Order: sequence, then structure tokens, then C-alpha cells
Amino acid sequence: MKLPVADGPALRRHTAALLRRHRRGLAGVVALHVLAATAGLAGPWLLGRLVDGAVHGTTTSAVDRTVAVLVVAVLAQTVLIRYAQRAAMVLGETVFADLREEFVGRVTRLPLSTVERAGTGDLVARTTTDVDRVQYTVRFGVPRILVTTATISLTLVAAVLTSPLVAIGLLAGLPLLLPVTRWYLRRAAPAYLRESAAYATLNGTITESVEGARTVDALGLGARRRARVDADLREAFAAERRTLGLRSVLFPGVDTSFILPLVAVLAWGAYLVSTGDATVGAVTTIALYASQIIQPIGELIFWLDEIQVGATSLARILGVADVHADRTEGDARPGADDTDVRADAVRYAYRPGHDVLHGVDLALRPGERLAVVGPSGAGKSTLGRMLAGIHPPTGGSVTVGDVPLVDLPLDDLRGHVALVTQEHHVFVGPLADNLRLADPDADDAALERALRAVDAWDWVAALPHGLATEVGSGGTPLTPAQAQQVALARLVLLDPHTLVLDEATSLLDPRAARHLERSLSAVLQGRTVVAIAHRLHTAHDADRVAVVDAGRISEIGPHDDLVAADGEYASLWRSWQRE
Amino acid sequence: MRPLPLPDPGRPPLTGPARLLLWQGRRQVGVLLGATLVCVVGTVAAALVPWQLGRIVDGGLADGLGRTLWTGLAGLAGLGLVQVGANVWGHRLDVENWLRAALTTSQQIGHHVTRTGDRITRALPTGEVVATVASDALRMGEVYAIIPRLVGGIAAYLVLGALLLSTSVPLGLLVLLGLPVVVGVLSLLVRPLQRRQAAQREATGRLTTLGADTVSGLRILRGIGGEDVFADRYRAQSQRVRGAGVHVAQTQSLLDALQTLLPGLFLAVVVWSGARLALDGAISPGQLVAFYGFAAFLTQPLWTASEAIRVITRAVVGARKIITVLSVPEAGSDDPASPAEPPAPGEPLEDLASGLVVTPGRTTAVVGADPDESARIALRLGRLGAPVLPDAAGDAPADEPLSAVRWGRAMLHELALTEVRGRVVVAESTPHLFTGPLADELDVRGGADRDALHAAMAVADAADVLDSVPGGLDGEVEEKGRSLSGGQRQRVALARALLTGAEVLVLIEPTSAVDAHTEARIARTLTDARRGATTVVVTASPLVLDAVDEVALVQDGRVIATGRHRDLVTADDDTGRAYRAVVSRTEEVTREAARR
Repeated sequence: MKLPVADGPALRRHTAALLRRHRRGLAGVVALHVLAATAGLAGPWLLGRLVDGAVHGTTTSAVDRTVAVLVVAVLAQTVLIRYAQRAAMVLGETVFADLREEFVGRVTRLPLSTVERAGTGDLVARTTTDVDRVQYTVRFGVPRILVTTATISLTLVAAVLTSPLVAIGLLAGLPLLLPVTRWYLRRAAPAYLRESAAYATLNGTITESVEGARTVDALGLGARRRARVDADLREAFAAERRTLGLRSVLFPGVDTSFILPLVAVLAWGAYLVSTGDATVGAVTTIALYASQIIQPIGELIFWLDEIQVGATSLARILGVADVHADRTEGDARPGADDTDVRADAVRYAYRPGHDVLHGVDLALRPGERLAVVGPSGAGKSTLGRMLAGIHPPTGGSVTVGDVPLVDLPLDDLRGHVALVTQEHHVFVGPLADNLRLADPDADDAALERALRAVDAWDWVAALPHGLATEVGSGGTPLTPAQAQQVALARLVLLDPHTLVLDEATSLLDPRAARHLERSLSAVLQGRTVVAIAHRLHTAHDADRVAVVDAGRISEIGPHDDLVAADGEYASLWRSWQRE
Repeated sequence: MRPLPLPDPGRPPLTGPARLLLWQGRRQVGVLLGATLVCVVGTVAAALVPWQLGRIVDGGLADGLGRTLWTGLAGLAGLGLVQVGANVWGHRLDVENWLRAALTTSQQIGHHVTRTGDRITRALPTGEVVATVASDALRMGEVYAIIPRLVGGIAAYLVLGALLLSTSVPLGLLVLLGLPVVVGVLSLLVRPLQRRQAAQREATGRLTTLGADTVSGLRILRGIGGEDVFADRYRAQSQRVRGAGVHVAQTQSLLDALQTLLPGLFLAVVVWSGARLALDGAISPGQLVAFYGFAAFLTQPLWTASEAIRVITRAVVGARKIITVLSVPEAGSDDPASPAEPPAPGEPLEDLASGLVVTPGRTTAVVGADPDESARIALRLGRLGAPVLPDAAGDAPADEPLSAVRWGRAMLHELALTEVRGRVVVAESTPHLFTGPLADELDVRGGADRDALHAAMAVADAADVLDSVPGGLDGEVEEKGRSLSGGQRQRVALARALLTGAEVLVLIEPTSAVDAHTEARIARTLTDARRGATTVVVTASPLVLDAVDEVALVQDGRVIATGRHRDLVTADDDTGRAYRAVVSRTEEVTREAARR
């Protein structure tokens, strides 16, 4: 399942709302920039006056006065730029902090079923790449766009004020500038996205080669991996060539459209001078304006480009808001001692019409161990997720004390049933924080008890700072088995009466998995346990065994009964212990 | 433009960053010279625009559309056109220079890490290796793009210097000497800004890590709670980043203001003294305009110079990191100078330390109370070291000494590593799956047809994978096989190992993550499929042990018994008891029950 991406109207709506929320700050920034740009226009204007003075004769004191005005203008511009830039950057930081915090807040509240099914790759990309890209646009782009737009419009205004007639010459570049820029901007965003995708793929390939270096060596995959790197580089080169091709049209187009107004202003100005409709100074001023406007226009085109790329990332960030809740809380709560979980006629389809479960009935007996076995793809994991209240079933119900699991608020649900999967993750931060996720109020003694229960206290105590040791990416590395023990200690703190274990140890190296069994049994003590298992001795040790086949429970009962019944399970068991 | 990547990226000298940078520069010296030439022409043309503008103001502008004006304008347009051409052509050459260096270096790194085996992961964290491609190689490339522009800037500076001095010595000296001072002061002011930016980058990096971390663990977070803790933590760091950003804004805006103030004041001085000279008739009004234009233009090459210093510094740092990666020795670099004669097919393998003898053409299982020990024996048979934790680089153990395995008449370490890798394939229990079309990722040696692929998938009981990968054999395997379950991943890896058709196939716990139904089927099909070929399986599963030709029981690093599973498991002696203790506790339970 793919996560949604915001469409055009939604994107505009969100952006407008964001700007409205900060409209006062934005108005202030715009005002400051307009003033700064105005002060910046004094240079060419005063130089024009000096040229006129030199042509027609002037005095030393007049020159001094003109230059004094120039110095004042520079000083004013300096002060204004200082405050305008600061206000713009602070505004950018604030707007962007709002945006990313809202996004992460929303991500941490995504419906359980979405998180379980969407996979983490797309979300990680949105949290890192997309957030970074929007950040670049907001942090650097927004202030620069304000500056350049203000400078360009004011330069044009100043030119018109200097001499409306001569200023007409400035328009000479537009018939070329507009179509070339339009042509370029239409093609640029996808081309640059392809480019960054190509580099992301290359980095991914290198990551894989390094992480799988042992497998590369053992299976002799070197030549294949090198071919992959070369293919990625070929794509990166092709993508670079494409954007270079686009720029090879844009640059000459834009450069030419900058020369045209300069030549036009001078020719047209000379004509106007000869008819007496303009002074040499006015023509000089506007010619200087024509060259002064080049840099901001170039920069604006660059940022328009970046904004397009930023907008696609923004659409992916805002798209997360379009995921709808998969459940609504009800008011009913099970009684304090109601710990019986049951499934009635549960059906589930990931795609409409393709039922994975076909009406499963199952009543868990409080305190029992139920092993769920069956071939891959039979629906064991789906059943496990139903029993843990992750997905609302498409038909039937899963209840605890007659209250549907999906009607409970999440905090309550977790106190009843928890799901443990193959995945384990150590969060960046102190080890204690990793444990307190399950119980924010637990004190250090409680954490130690939980760790002792899963046989992990010895190695935790041996860590450089004990519970306060920084773990996770960049911190002290934990072995997969230690990570799994941390996960189990969290369960002890969470203390649900029912646990669903979905092949909880099968991802581990089998050698590590064997060491974990003691820790696991400590957690299971006194709880109802549903163990989706691939090891038959788990089934042998369980109170009951349920065989799931093609979305149905085909057999259920104690191990001995099932063996005696001589069905599917019995044949499997015989093959397992054949002598 | 010469297409990249090159067929052979070459082997650069690794004696120092300067040597590396020079070596790469020599390999693209033609493009570098071309770019420099174009840049000189373009920059000088741009520098001459104000001069031409001044000439137009002086001669013609006041006289209307005369011949002089048209000549002047034609000159201006000519300068413009030269600039247009030089800009686009120079940019293309800049990009070619950059790409040649950056992509070739990436290629060198990308190729090297496929030759080192896990020595690379022992020497460096994955992130650092990837960073050399993601950033250091690109930064190194920037050197070759900026050098032509630097030379162009210097040329323009010299040309304008001559022009200025020939017009007015005092004003010329003022511009030529004053501007470097202004730009020098500004580049000194950049330092504190860079420090604050670095602080901001670091805070941002931590924020990104935090975000990625939260999302990677989201399933767990949503399963057991703690969302608020994480949202709050992210918010706190986000506000820290905002704070750092405001900090940067203080310095940055001050610097922006100074960048207006210093050149602005300098320009005012130039205008003032120029206007006075013009008033005295020492220079013309047009020359005044030209001086104004020069002063504005000349800041550019000076900025290029200070940028070049930054780029080169960064590239040297990057080159050093690249050298670290490229210096990790290749696997097989410790091969003997003259490798021994390879053994003929069908020679037995013997691990001297444990006494294990692998009989050709049979499937042998290795089982022991300590699974690590059994796995080590299997790794030795393939001349592989013990695995290390991917994240524990730094204090990683050194390579295990090359232990003595005899293969026919030769010792394994006397052979060329490529010979060993080609004939002995070791598949570990949690092998790495790579992204790519499933068919390609299965058929790593190439040459297997669809039927062979389907057959191998059937042996590994992995037909269900074809349904869960959209597109089946042509579908894409995601990174680390993320879209597959643990059991599916293991079975795909098994099919991949089988498809190598290795003369000797060593499988370490190949069925640890699959359910018992599937394991039973794999045990049967695997031994059938490898009938006649040499196979070693490290396992403790009775289902697999029962299917193999011979079982070797290992205790304290030595093989203490060999035989068929059914004989060992029923043997009523110490060996039998030791074997039963290892193989299954349920076996023990049932036997006790049977005795009663």
C-alpha cells in the first residue's frame, strides 16, 4: 500500500494556510526588503547625475553632495538589509519548524494498519530526503526570492521614474526571456528529480555492497556488483547530461536576453538624446540598471526551479495528512478482570474480494499457551494481527470482555494485547528511554526488574553508563539478541494480559535465538500467549495447537489429541520426530 | 562529451591527497585546458563590457544614432555574444570536468568495496564508506570545475588592471589594490558564519537522524506506545535547530549587510575620485562609467578566488577519506605469490583442526552442542573468517589465522582465492539479499534458464515468493528483501546458493527461519537436488539430519562421531546420548516417555 501524496489544490490550500498563519511576519519581511532594494537603486541614479554633470559642467561641491547622498544610501541599504535578511531567515526557520513538527506529529499517529502495511521505506524517505529538500527551499529560497523579486520590480520602477521613454528599451529582452524560461521550467523539475534519484540509487548500491560485503565475497558476486555500480553511474551520467542539455538552452537564451535590453536602451536612448527627449545621464542610469538586473533575474530563475522540486517534496509531506483513521473509539470498556479474548467469524481481505481469513472462530482461554502452526501464506500472521487489534477485521469481530478491540483507545488496547514481531529496533537515545516507551512512569528500579526478568541485567550493568548509555544508531551498538531482550523487557513493563508472538525470534541468527529462549519464557509467565511458530517443539510445549490452513483453523486442540486424531498435524509431527 | 563511466576507472596512487588530485587532473588534462581557455575568453569579454559602455557614453550617445554609435553598439553586442558562447560552452566543460572526476572516483570506490570482502566493514562504518561516494567524490570533482574559472578570473584581473592603469594611474591603483582588501576582509568575516552554520548543520543532522529513527521504529512505537515521548523529543530538537538557525541568521544577515556596505562604500570612493578627475578633465564621463562598472565587475573573480580556496580545502579532506577506503586490502591480497596446483574435481576436503572429512559427492551434516563452533568449521572450508557485527567496527577482531584445510594434495590457503570462491560456495544462515529483479538476484553466476530458476525455487520451497513479489521472477526484490518475511528471505537465499551449482556447497543453518512443514519438504528436495554433488550442511534440525547421507557430531571443536542420523539417534551409548542432547530436547522427552 502506498501512502498518499497531496494533489495540487490541497498543496496550494496548505501553503496558503501556512502563509496566513505567519502573515504578519511575512508582511514585515516584505516591507523591509522593499525598502532595502529602494536604497540599492541610488547608485546608478546618482552616477547618471554625475555623468550629466560632467557633460554639462558642474561644481566640486555638487559632486561631493551627490557622493554624500550615495554614502547615505549605502548606509541605509546596509542597515535595512541586515534587518530584512534576519527577519526573513528567522521567519523561514519558524515556518519550517512548524511544518516538520506537524509532520512528525502526524506520522507518529498514523493508523496502526497503515504503519503495518505501508512499510517504513517510504516514510523514512519523507522524513529525511523530503524534509531536507523543503528545508533547503524554505531556509534559502524564500528569503532570496523575496530579495530578488523586490529588486527586480523596484529596478523597473526606478527606471520608469528616471525616464519612462528610455525604460521601454528594457523590455527588449522579454520576448526571448519569457519563452526560454517557460520552456526550461516545464522540463527542469522532473529532470533534476531524476538526477537526485540516480544518486540515491548509486548510494543505495554502495550501501548494499558494503553491508553485504561478506555475501559478495562468499558467493563471488563482485563482478555483478561492479556492473551494478557502472549501471547506476551510467544513469547518473545520463541524468546529468539531460539537465546539462536543458541548461545549454537556458543559459544562452537568458544571457542573450540580458544583452538585448542593454543594446536597445543605448540605441533607443541615443535616438531620444538626439531628439532632446532624454539626457545622456538618464540613458547611462538605465543602461546600468539593465546590467544590474541581470543577477537577480538569474537567481530568481534558479529558485523557481528549486521551488518546483521543493513543491513535490512538500506534496509528499502533506500527503500524510490524508491518511484517515481506521477506527473510532467507543465508550465501552471491558471489566477489570475480563481477560478473555475471542474471535467470532473473523474475515479479512487486504484487497477487496480476496479474503485471507474466511470466518475464523477462536476463543482464547485466559493463561493458556496457544501455538499457531501452518504453511507459509496460510494467514497465520494476519490472524495474529487481528487478535492484537492491529487491523479492524473486514467481517466478524475480535473482542476482549465483549468489547471489540478496535473500539478501545490505543493506551487501553496495549494494556490488554500486545503484538511482538520479527522486527526489533533500538531507538537513538539512552537505554532507559528505550524501555520507558512502554511505561513513561517507570523508575530505574522498575527498569532493572524488567531487565533482570529477561536475563539482560548483566550486560546492561556492564555498559559504560548502565541504563543511561546512549544506544541506537551512533551509540553503543547492541547485538540483535540484546535488542530483542530490550524489546522483551518493554513487554514486561507494558504488562498486557495477552501476547501475540509472530515468529518473534526467527529473524535472529539461529544461534542467538537459542540463547533468547530463557528471556522469552520469563515474559510469557502468567499471560495468555498466542505463538505463531515454526519450531515444532514450541507447539509440543503449548497447551493447545491451532493449525491454520488457507485462511481457516483446520485443527485445534492439545498436542496429544491432535497427534491421536491423525490429521495434518499428526503427520507433520511424525516426520519431525521420525527415527 | 566522453560517456561515463569509463570501462576501467584506473587505480589511483594512494600515497597522499595531493598525489591523488594530481593523478586525476592528469587523466582529464585536455578537458581542463579547454575549459580554462574558454573561461579566459569569456571572463575577459565580460570584463570589457563596462569599458565598451564607457566608450559608447563618450562617443556617440550624445550625437544620436550616428555611425560611431552603431560601431560602438556592434562592439558591445559582439562582446555579449562571445560571453554567451563562452558561458554555455564553459559551463558544459566545467560539468564534464566535474563529472569525470566525481563519477570516476565513485566508480573506483564502488568497485573496490566489492573486492574487499568484509574487511571493509571491519575497517570502517558503512555510513563513512557511503559518504565518500555521496559527498567526498563530488567535492573532489569540484576542484576541476573551479580551477578553469579561477584562471579566467586572474586573466580578467590582469587585462582590466592594464586598462585601468592606462586610463588613470591613481584610480587604477585604487581599484586594483583596494578591491582585494575589501574581499579579503569579507572572506575573513565568513569564518564565524561558517562555524555557526556547522553548528546548525550538526543540529539538523541530529534532527534528521531522530526523525528517521522514529519512523524506522514506528511499528514498534505504535505497538507499545511512546508516540508522545517521541513527538516531544523531535519537537525539542526541532526547536534547537530553529534556535541554531536564528543564530546563523544573526551572523548571516550581518555578513550580507557588510557585503553591501564595503563594496558600496568602495564604489562611492571610486565614483567620488572618478567624478573629481572627470571634473578636472583627466578622464571622460564614459571612463567614469567604465570605472564604476569595473569596480562592480572585479568583485567576481575575487569571490571565485576565495571560493576556490574553500573548494580545494574540502577536496583535500575528501581525498584523504577516499584514500582510507581505497586502502582497505582486497580479499585474496594475501594469496601466495605462486598458488598451488588446484585439486582435481572430486578430491576430499579435510578440516585438520576438527578432523572433519567432507566426502565428495555426498551430503554431510555438521552438528554440535555449540552451533558457533560448527559454523566456524564450515566457514573454514570456504576460507572465510568469522563474521563481525556490522556496527561494531573499530574493536573488531582480527582475521582468524588461515587455518589448515586440506583439499586433495593442496592446502586451501595455498590456492588462489578466486579458485576457492569459484568452486566452494558458503551460504550463511542470514545472508544478504540485494535489490534487483528476482531472476537476476537468484542467478548470480548467470546462464540459468527459467526452468532452472523454477527448479531451484521449488527445491528451496520458495514458490510462494513468486506470488508475494509483484511480477514474480521479473519483479523487484526490495532492499535487504524487506518486502519478504524472514522465512521467505532465507529460502530465496537458499535457491540462490543452489543456483551457483558449486562443486562444494556449504550451507549454514539454511532452514532456521522456516516453519516445520516447509523444513521437512526442503530437507527432502535439497538432498535430492544435490545428489552426486558435495554438500555440507550445518544444522541441528532432525528433519534435515535425517535426510542427509552422513552426520558428523562435533564436541569441543573435534568430530567425535560420524554416521547416519537414525543410527546415532538410537545408539545406546555416550555418543548416542550426546547426539540426542544436541539434536532435540523433544527427542529426549519422547524417548523417556517410551521407556516408561
